[in-house]
Amino acid sequence: MVENVKPIASTWCPGCGDFGLLASLKKAALELGIPAHELVLVGGIGCSGGIHNFLDMNGLHALHGRLLAQAVGVKLANPKLTVIAAGGDGDGYAIGMGHFMHAFKKNASILYLVMNNETYGLTKGQASPTSQVGFEGNVENPFDAVLTALSIPVPNFVARTFSGDPKQMTAVLVEALKFNRENKGFAFVEDLSPCVTYNDTFKEWRAKVQDLAKLPGYDPTDRAATFRMCLETIREGKIPIGVMHRPAAVDPATSALELKLLPDRLGPAMAEIGLEPNRAAYAKLLGGLA
Amino acid sequence: MPAPDSATKGPTSGTPLRDLAVMIGGQGGDGTLTVSDLLARYFRRRGLYVYSSRNVLSRIRGGHADASVRASERPIAAEKAEIDLLVAFDAEAIRFGQPELDENGLILYDSSSFQSDAPSAVGFPFATLVGGQIGQPIYKNTAAYGAISVMMGFDPAVTRGVIESRFQRRGAEALEKNLKALEIGRKLALERPELVGRWSVADGDAHERLLLTGNQAAALGFVVGGGRFFAGYPITPATEIMEYLMRYLPPLHGVVRQAEDELAAINMVLGAAYAGARAMTSTSGPGLSLMTEGIGHAGAAEIPVLVADCQRVGPSTGEPTRHEQSDLAHLANLGHGEFPRVIIAPGTVDDCFHLTVRALNIAERWRLPVILLLDQALCQNSVTTAPFDLGPVRIDRGDRLGAEALAQRARYAYYEVTPSGPSAYAPPGVPGGIAQVTGNEHDEMGHVSVNPVNRAKMMEKRMGKLVKLAPELPEPAIFGPADARIGIIGYGSTFGPIREAQERLRADGRTTRFYQARTLFPVPVDSLRTFLDSVDVAYVVEHNYTGQFARLIREHLPERHAKLRTLLKFDGMSFRAPEIAERVRGG
Repeated sequence: MVENVKPIASTWCPGCGDFGLLASLKKAALELGIPAHELVLVGGIGCSGGIHNFLDMNGLHALHGRLLAQAVGVKLANPKLTVIAAGGDGDGYAIGMGHFMHAFKKNASILYLVMNNETYGLTKGQASPTSQVGFEGNVENPFDAVLTALSIPVPNFVARTFSGDPKQMTAVLVEALKFNRENKGFAFVEDLSPCVTYNDTFKEWRAKVQDLAKLPGYDPTDRAATFRMCLETIREGKIPIGVMHRPAAVDPATSALELKLLPDRLGPAMAEIGLEPNRAAYAKLLGGLA
Repeated sequence: MPAPDSATKGPTSGTPLRDLAVMIGGQGGDGTLTVSDLLARYFRRRGLYVYSSRNVLSRIRGGHADASVRASERPIAAEKAEIDLLVAFDAEAIRFGQPELDENGLILYDSSSFQSDAPSAVGFPFATLVGGQIGQPIYKNTAAYGAISVMMGFDPAVTRGVIESRFQRRGAEALEKNLKALEIGRKLALERPELVGRWSVADGDAHERLLLTGNQAAALGFVVGGGRFFAGYPITPATEIMEYLMRYLPPLHGVVRQAEDELAAINMVLGAAYAGARAMTSTSGPGLSLMTEGIGHAGAAEIPVLVADCQRVGPSTGEPTRHEQSDLAHLANLGHGEFPRVIIAPGTVDDCFHLTVRALNIAERWRLPVILLLDQALCQNSVTTAPFDLGPVRIDRGDRLGAEALAQRARYAYYEVTPSGPSAYAPPGVPGGIAQVTGNEHDEMGHVSVNPVNRAKMMEKRMGKLVKLAPELPEPAIFGPADARIGIIGYGSTFGPIREAQERLRADGRTTRFYQARTLFPVPVDSLRTFLDSVDVAYVVEHNYTGQFARLIREHLPERHAKLRTLLKFDGMSFRAPEIAERVRGG
């Protein structure tokens, strides 16, 4: 039996919200029976991005903010892989914002997990794009990634979880991973994951989170209705969580980027590139030159 | 009415042209490129060697634009120094082109809106006549082609055949209008007996050759070299590589993506290459600056990527459509920290094809970033080239492990230190091939590590590749007799002008030897030392202000410093052979 790299013990602070996501992700992968060698976790830079070291699966540690571009590259090279990108709010919503917006537009079937702690933990507590006004002198308005995601009319999966509610989180992650494995498109899940050292919001968030599924009229296939529900929840001083968008029906062939480009699921990484098998195709290509 | 014929100068009737140049100038949108394309097609049908170039501004329409076609009975890879025929659609084109006109050259201009009193100018009101008879003055370009065909004594059937092949795809109406315009132009010239057959153009022997740009050849080399994933961002003069691959790759399980920026492009390529695809991006100066981060990551994380840098005038936005070779100093030192990179520099269209294949092999075998260093003239100018020979094409993926090979091993470590240099690689998705890949310093298994002993070991592992891979690097091409005492060193598109300069110098008794560098980094010190030892002096010909390649050679061969002379040009235009020859003559 060939020995492969083994997960290492976490380097996170005791009590970090990221542990919740790590545990739920392991459970979700186990529940779906995804073989470890078919899973690729593309990690960002920051505390949360190190999650690939703590999981028994392939890990690709990306550059700061670039994890989504790399994850899309992995998926398009081999659509049979289950690709998860995971990082923090600074990585995704500051330096990586351009790639984040374009990930919706591309709609490749990858799962993007953002562990949002409203601070830059690894560099010791600066304000992040999601920080509240007043946090560490922040005077800019916090960015709401879920509202933004809801405003983009792409048949994708959008959800928010809370590290203090592992049961809900595992259910969401199972659904998101299924969505990806069925080539339905981009799945975005923001996890509210407090930084116990620099921005310990556990208590506050526990009191404020509102699972939209528990409200009357909840319909995650209706983007506008969920958007309005989010705004109302925020107006009441609460934080909406739950599945925010789940398309009523998706045709993978016309929706997911990897199937639009590679309908037979055989991608560049596994294609036969030797000269002999391609000789006829090359002769045609070179013979057709003017 | 035609302008008074002032073409008292010019060639005597039937003067044979064995090596001719036509320059067509006007406003962007005048169709100068169409005339150039029609002429190039005609000359190719006659078996002549063709080199065509364009000089356009970075805008879609308007502004001065010109195109040049050179045709010769012998192989060529550069612009001709003097123009035989200048075709001008406006007065500015005459002002631009006249200084380069051969003493026996002629100017053919559209007299619809201006008159020229240049001594060698012939005016025809192309736009007025074409506008009146066809309704759209834009066909003036085809009319000009018709007049040229008469003046150069073209075969009428072949002249017409070129129009048919060029416009057939545009539909019956477009073809008919162009054929009408052709006849208008022919008639104008035929009515002036002194212009008919002013020159004669003989047939050449290059019938089997293709007319290709370096960009197209690099795209073809990428495909045949097994490249299957490309991501890029539009940028002059690199964009055509992406456009060609958008046509070539999809039927071969390949993927081409136009990314949101160069950061995304290089990172998509990193992801695809990590997953096991042969992957490339192409860019130019400003995009290269953005990709620098990703290329460093490829070096640290040991991910094989190929980056084609189509050099243009820099820094900043510079001159997007103009020629320069000023990225080498950046590339040789690119990125923060230290990591191995290889810089390969094709000099001909054939090189662009074959060296792209070899660059892919080197990248994947040694798991590092490889730069394919091109330049605007090589990328975008068209040249007749022999059909590509697939004989020398080899696909070498290094030690790529499948499930069976993995099952035979005790351990799979992405960063395994091996005596030969590169580590074996298993694509993700293969049982037994789980790996951790990171740009953080890491141990052999890919675990992050700051252990000083490990750090030193991993630096040796990565940097040592540059020494071990040396035998696989593209060798230089040397031209000229071994006993020549004057050396010339160059890379990229200077190949053509240097080869012609050698002929000019030989004609006046100066034999020279040319070292065409095809690997720039790691600096090929052994072959350079041998070359420099064989000559008294060596001119390093390059398009930049500071002599970047000369500096690189000096840094690596300080003891040969005294033999090196720089021969530089940095005005955005390609060298022409006489400029190089004169500088060498001057010492």
